[in-house]
Amino acid sequence: MDTYILGIESSCDETSVSIVKNGCDEIATVILSQMDTHSTFGGVVPEIASRMHVENITIVVEECLKKANMKMEDIDAIAVTYGPGLIGCLLVGCSLAATLSYIYNKPLVPVHHIAGHIYANNLVSKMEFPLIALVVSGGHTDLIYMEDNYKFKKIGGTLDDAVGECYDKVARVIGVPYPGGPLVDKLSYKGNDTYPLPMPLDDDTYNFSFSGIKSAVINLVHNELQRGNEIRKEDIACSFQNRVVDILTKKTIRALKEYNVKNLIIAGGVSANSGIRNKFTEICNKEGIKLTIPNIKYCTDNAAMIACAGYFAYKKGIRADLDLKAEATVSLF
Amino acid sequence: MRSLLIDTSQNNMVVSIVEDNNILYKFEELIEKDMAAKILPIIRDGFRSVNFDINDIDKIFIVNGPGSFTGVRVGVTIAKTMAWSLKKYIIPISSLELMATTKTSKKYLVPLIDARRGNVFAGIYDRDLNIIKKDSLISLEELTSNLNEDYELISYDDIKNSLKPSLDILKIINKYKSDTGVNPHNLNPNYLKLTEAEENLGVH
Repeated sequence: MDTYILGIESSCDETSVSIVKNGCDEIATVILSQMDTHSTFGGVVPEIASRMHVENITIVVEECLKKANMKMEDIDAIAVTYGPGLIGCLLVGCSLAATLSYIYNKPLVPVHHIAGHIYANNLVSKMEFPLIALVVSGGHTDLIYMEDNYKFKKIGGTLDDAVGECYDKVARVIGVPYPGGPLVDKLSYKGNDTYPLPMPLDDDTYNFSFSGIKSAVINLVHNELQRGNEIRKEDIACSFQNRVVDILTKKTIRALKEYNVKNLIIAGGVSANSGIRNKFTEICNKEGIKLTIPNIKYCTDNAAMIACAGYFAYKKGIRADLDLKAEATVSLF
Repeated sequence: MRSLLIDTSQNNMVVSIVEDNNILYKFEELIEKDMAAKILPIIRDGFRSVNFDINDIDKIFIVNGPGSFTGVRVGVTIAKTMAWSLKKYIIPISSLELMATTKTSKKYLVPLIDARRGNVFAGIYDRDLNIIKKDSLISLEELTSNLNEDYELISYDDIKNSLKPSLDILKIINKYKSDTGVNPHNLNPNYLKLTEAEENLGVH
């Protein structure tokens, strides 16, 4: 029998609802992005984001059901991002989900945002285990070993800045507007690797550290400006991106070998980065590793990934009651 | 007529189920923490204690502000989701007006919510809940300096010379009993205050 999960995601600046069948077939997804509003402020303003979620939340649910040509009664369970994220934003999604669960008497399934990003890959092709997941986003840089569905073991993570956070800071320093990360990626193709930026933490652990390269970029820009030199944004972007992609691929490939794993998935907002996508595709082809990366539109926050992860959480018996608590910071492990 | 009233706009959380002129269920308690996680279980308890289901109500009265931004959002999200899914009337109620149902011998009632930095959310009502002065964000000093008549200050907060509210839920429900409210999609919080980011940008 088919299982339909209604997914809800509101942890940051996207209001999204989706219906996914059996954890892999997307029936309908609606994503309402607030990016245009926040770009006026140079970044996501939590209070504005929360306000916009409330204004749109029931409209987005209705749209999604309409698009799927389904009724709430046809849904088997409701999955919602309970954290981590902006607390005011999470609360809107959680309140919606718990109310629907109450009214329609459907199981309520709490989903960790990062589990969602990982399971975005199940929309591309069925995840095969064991696998290594590299999660790269504005808040995370994690290497995760998964022996089976919904079993997450962290083997490494960032010791300071997340990779997406570092991209945004570099963007600000070189004068690239919000959203900085994707624009730095684009810019890097117009430049050359001419700046001697340091390689980020290159040791025999699976941890990452990006504060050093971030400081190096800040100092570089500062010194060049003081000397009256022009900064070549494109070259900085290229040098920076090369270093980041190099360390991510180097440590990830080593993890795959050490754990004797043939499946790699990449997840999170920064998996939209073309440098990462291209380099990993090239290396995985060479090494005979099955690589899965979400479609660009599912790299950023969306509810389809929450419904996917929600299916496996549901099958595993993970449930929340109406007293579900949203958590700004919560670990997947 | 059966109604559900929800107020999560201040620490004094209220859930009430009313049938005609009878209050069948009333929860009113000071909730300092995690109101968002407590409200739905209390609504569920409420319906377990009466002899009908949430599907059998006619109207939802939701306090949509002013007050705690987060608190208001949680209540509004729950109420609009209920009204949308159950196809019920939803009627927004001002937190200040609800406070103004408090009994007093004074001619006017001035409900207040501390909005910090010397400001309050306040309105002026008479004893029949007619609006004398619309709810607004105002400095407490400015508001009180213009009060020279027969007024009762009402607040849950620590405001000098104010009386703690004692809500008359039937009074507010009766006032709006023929009101059919708004489309749930359009029922939104009434913060009475822009976000700081918008204020700094000069957005109006």
